[in-house]
Amino acid sequence: MIKLKIRRQDGENVWYDLFEVEDRPGMNLLEALFYVQEKLDGSLTFRYSCRGAVCGSCGMLINRVPRLACKTQVSDLRKEPTNEGNPEVLITNKKTETDNDEILIEPLPNLDVIRDLVVDMDPFYSLLESVRPWLEMKNDIPEKENIMDQETQVKLEQYTNCILCAICHGSCPVAERDRKYYGPAALAKAWRFDLDPRENEENRKERLEIVDSESGVWGCDTVYKCVAVCPKKVAPTLGINELRNRIDTNKKKEE
Amino acid sequence: MITHDVVVIGGGLSGLRCAIELHERGVDVAIVSKVPLIRSHSGAAQGGINASIGSDDSWESHAFDTVKGSDYLADQDTVEILCKEAPDRVLEMEHWGTNFSRKDDGTIAQRPFGGAGFPRTCYAGDRTGHNILHTLHERILRAGIKVYREWLVTRLVIEDDRCLGFVAMDLLNSELEVFKTKATVLATGGYGRIYQKSTNAIINKGFGISLAYRAGVPLQDMEFVQFHPTTLWGTNILITEGARGEGGYLYNKDHERFMKDYASSSMELAPRDIVARSIQQEIDEGRAFPGGYVHLDITHLGKDLIEERLGGIRQICIDFAGIDPVEEPIPVQPGQHYSMGGISSNKDGATPASGLYAVGECACISVHGANRLGGNSLLDTVVFGRRAGVHAADYVTSLGETSDDPLTQALDSEKTAISEMMGNDGESYSSISEELKRTMQENVGVFREKKELEKAVEDVKKLEARARSLKVRTEAREFNLELLNAIELKGMLDLAHVIALGALVREESRGAHYRTDFLERDDKNWLKHTLAYLTPEGPRLEYKDVNITIFQPQRRTY
Ligand SMILES: Cc1cc2nc3c(=O)[nH]c(=O)nc-3n(C[C@H](O)[C@H](O)[C@H](O)COP(=O)(O)OP(=O)(O)OC[C@H]3O[C@@H](n4cnc5c(N)ncnc54)[C@H](O)[C@@H]3O)c2cc1C
Ligand code: SF4
Ligand code: FES
Repeated sequence: MIKLKIRRQDGENVWYDLFEVEDRPGMNLLEALFYVQEKLDGSLTFRYSCRGAVCGSCGMLINRVPRLACKTQVSDLRKEPTNEGNPEVLITNKKTETDNDEILIEPLPNLDVIRDLVVDMDPFYSLLESVRPWLEMKNDIPEKENIMDQETQVKLEQYTNCILCAICHGSCPVAERDRKYYGPAALAKAWRFDLDPRENEENRKERLEIVDSESGVWGCDTVYKCVAVCPKKVAPTLGINELRNRIDTNKKKEE
Repeated sequence: MITHDVVVIGGGLSGLRCAIELHERGVDVAIVSKVPLIRSHSGAAQGGINASIGSDDSWESHAFDTVKGSDYLADQDTVEILCKEAPDRVLEMEHWGTNFSRKDDGTIAQRPFGGAGFPRTCYAGDRTGHNILHTLHERILRAGIKVYREWLVTRLVIEDDRCLGFVAMDLLNSELEVFKTKATVLATGGYGRIYQKSTNAIINKGFGISLAYRAGVPLQDMEFVQFHPTTLWGTNILITEGARGEGGYLYNKDHERFMKDYASSSMELAPRDIVARSIQQEIDEGRAFPGGYVHLDITHLGKDLIEERLGGIRQICIDFAGIDPVEEPIPVQPGQHYSMGGISSNKDGATPASGLYAVGECACISVHGANRLGGNSLLDTVVFGRRAGVHAADYVTSLGETSDDPLTQALDSEKTAISEMMGNDGESYSSISEELKRTMQENVGVFREKKELEKAVEDVKKLEARARSLKVRTEAREFNLELLNAIELKGMLDLAHVIALGALVREESRGAHYRTDFLERDDKNWLKHTLAYLTPEGPRLEYKDVNITIFQPQRRTY
């Protein structure tokens, strides 16, 4: 048996429910939530889709660490403290010597709650859109594919791996205090397109101008929390640093 | 009433490719999806997308492999289109930004896949679906196409064989709304979750397929269900065919490469249906590991290659099974994977109801016949997604006004139906859904036989009766999962009924449909497509001919 202590919310009402779940080897936290939803309380709500850590739906705060529920094993959570009462969003958790049979589950921070564990993702998606996250092809499109060396492909891959789960956003101290800050995911995306040799110069320039701002790369505290929590090893802060360098170099060139 | 010229239902690859085409042709198009676009199941596709872009490859060779793989049930006119248009569609994705893996010379890399005579599967590591889905999503953002995010379509409105629109529920507040369209495109994906063991996303319940069926459109070849040979034991997360394409071996508990007994020349790279049956037979005859799995061993490929080309599945094995495939073999078993059947539609995605299109996995066009080759489904989504866009763009310009009455009536009756589902005095959806999955898993699986199939049909009928009086207790309006699941359950039952009945009646073995009581393919009686129509008594089955142009049916050996 494992106990899930879940933060519930319906309108203004906020409360915590404790559910007992029969766990089994290999069970992940998303399965535990389904157990509750199907067998104990049909009104519990949360987002999900792939159950395989690829779709980015199920980000939530688990024992005060933002993570994907489907990628988090219940057996691992047994060896962690719940950190209840700790106001901070943590990036990793300590290990306990003895089993802990309680898990604390709360919605992803820095986004408004719609109900229970479902948060309003609209601001996150809009911030993403602000950085023009798409490729404008160059004018001379080749008849076949663009030739790209493997090294560039691999560099890009670190950033194309982003699943837009908003876990980084939930851990980010700047996002917490400044709702206009584009945030780690959007800025990592901006770097992904800046890095892409197929990108059109004009669009690249426009995007750099957008992120050359306090809502953009200069807003970042460079505390690397997003890097620590990203389930896909995307490393947004590194992208932000690269963008800062790029902007600085461009300015020097212009001078 | 919300009005658009065309609405695409579904935000996976097929829906997005279709919407982009419509937008580029100047049509007022919107997308409705029950999950945010990038959460669609397409994002989970790992292995790749087929196109004969290699210099010694040809569309004919791709077409031959596809038709042979389909056990000759695929329509050869549509296969020809699929294979001819493949290079353009794949190159277009590259131009739009997909980060395909590269060869040394910087061109798109291609890997061998089961049933293919040539390494023609283009890939982006083992995250091909994710990469293409995000590329298309980026194009949607760029185009500024209107998206109704997290809306569930619950009913299509078809009058006099013409689709007028549909009713949908905004999951944010459970409000029902009616959409008026000149054309509607279903791109709602597969139904894996009517089985206990499936590689599909949890949201894949096939409800979109049942929408068409309930509105009178026939479903085609539904008995052909693909079981993927290698799904991770425990969660049934897919372990891509690419793992065997890159050189992985299958071993039973006696450390035998048992594929030598089933497909001695293709070995691990025989088509999926054959490998899945071989593994299942090893399990059934006691040569598998306790718990019912065999080993997929890639340790000999070495860490570097595994990291470079199979990094995603390595991570999956570590996260979901606690096993590092660099060091240990992966425990695998077959699981439901793909639906060859679907809403009957043609080379332009058009269904028999005018103004209604179906593309992607929810459709049966039929390019996969009785068994789909790996890498052909992603291809199918973009080729026919685009074609449906081209056709629908044309179609909507020629239409006059229609009456709103059928739409408002549909909205009212849907409102009544849903309010009647609310209450405390009936069974909940979850027990019915569990029993449905169990009977499908046990009785309509890799190996099939009359008695079991009869049992499945009977079970489904009983569950249908129970589902008629199920009740939803949760009243909360925001993201009412209980209500969503209850609505979708009825669609799952529809499909299960059609699949089980189609399988029972088809007395032969062809591709993924394998009858232990009818071991041979029977071209004389069964070289034909199944069509299922909804009647008050359940599905009525009809049959139609297969389109055969270049490749005459031969015995299928590998
Ligand atoms: C794990 C896995 C790996 C795969 N790997 C490969 C591969 O390597 N190569 C290959 O070719 N194929 C592969 N396939 C198959 C391929 O991924 C799918 O067939 C394909 O992506 C389906 O795309 P789609 O657009 O038809 O549907 P999906 O991507 O499933 O999208 C369906 C959409 O419809 C929406 N929807 C459904 N019902 C409703 C409703 N009632 N109302 C509103 N919206 C609705 C959903 O929200 C979703 O957006 C794989 C499949 C699996 C399961
Ligand atoms: S950068 Fe990482 S944590 Fe942030 S959205 Fe992308 S995948 Fe999620
Ligand atoms: S359900 Fe897709 S990431 Fe967890």
